[in-house]
Amino acid sequence: MLGCYDFCAHYEWTFQWLHEQGGPALVRQYWAEAISRESQFHARELIRADGFEGMSKYWGATLLEESPDAGYHITSTPRLFRIDMLDCPSKGFLIRNGLEQYGDYCDHCIGWIGPMMKEAGFVIDHEHNHGGQCWWEMRRSDDATPPSSPGGLSAHDVRNLPGWLPENGKLDRYRRAVDPDDKAEEG
Amino acid sequence: MNDPGSPLPYRDTKPHGAADFYFAINATFRFIEGKFGRERWIAYLRDLGRRYFEPVNARWRAGGLAEVAAYWRAFFAAEPGGEVEVREEAGGVRIDVRRCPAIAHLRQAGRDIVPFFCEHCHHLGVARAAASGFVFRLEGGNGSCVHRYEPAGADLPPSVIREVR
Repeated sequence: MLGCYDFCAHYEWTFQWLHEQGGPALVRQYWAEAISRESQFHARELIRADGFEGMSKYWGATLLEESPDAGYHITSTPRLFRIDMLDCPSKGFLIRNGLEQYGDYCDHCIGWIGPMMKEAGFVIDHEHNHGGQCWWEMRRSDDATPPSSPGGLSAHDVRNLPGWLPENGKLDRYRRAVDPDDKAEEG
Repeated sequence: MNDPGSPLPYRDTKPHGAADFYFAINATFRFIEGKFGRERWIAYLRDLGRRYFEPVNARWRAGGLAEVAAYWRAFFAAEPGGEVEVREEAGGVRIDVRRCPAIAHLRQAGRDIVPFFCEHCHHLGVARAAASGFVFRLEGGNGSCVHRYEPAGADLPPSVIREVR
């Protein structure tokens, strides 16, 4: 039986298997169809119906379940929903167990969240450091406000942690994105 | 995080997995089967059994049926919501899954379960057993089933698998 305890491990393994079958386009299709549309149907329904409040309901519950030690912080305003992921339970599982089959596991998040946000009328500013830390800001697609500066919205801003910048200085960065291929630049 | 004293190859900081991940497992099966057909879905599972599970297979090869039993006890202890008994019997290991945690959670959430969901245990089990020096049989499905492992060469009847309804 495939279990949920080691889910992140066989999920990441599956990305690489799909990549070997059909390249990056198939992996992106998998995130959009299987994960965003089907698996995370409950998140899509909440956010499409309730916007920022739906995001609070979804991530408030799911992050508490996956990360009961609260390795994250949520900031919510009438115009924005922000997550600071200080210790990602999913990437952390892979790091702690020395697992890496696929090139960038962290892209799976925008791979499923991006299409959901596009459908609900939101865009995403996001960065991840491949070390189990990232931040997200969701705004309405007609809100042109740029991403916040470090510490500008949250006292728990992951960008202010000493280990935020990886040794090689490479951050994956998304601006007003809804797709993994919207990755702006690294560094 | 690897704990040499644990029968599980990978360890988390939490005692149990998050049951909503069963949604993704079910959706992954639908995606691969829908995209490529049943044979490629079976090939995916056989690859998982041989490659992803090789750390477990290696322990089974080294530790025999006692290691198989220890693994499944630890596995189901970490899956939320199941009701499972693992027994070492003469010549084999028998796993009585009285309440499958995946099927139970998917049903509770009202998810559309792929009808061939239970076949995944058969294909994984066959691949993992073959890589470890055992044979495997599954009987049942649709929420409850019996798994059996015996040494390679044992004359187990073929698996009989019920669709999910």
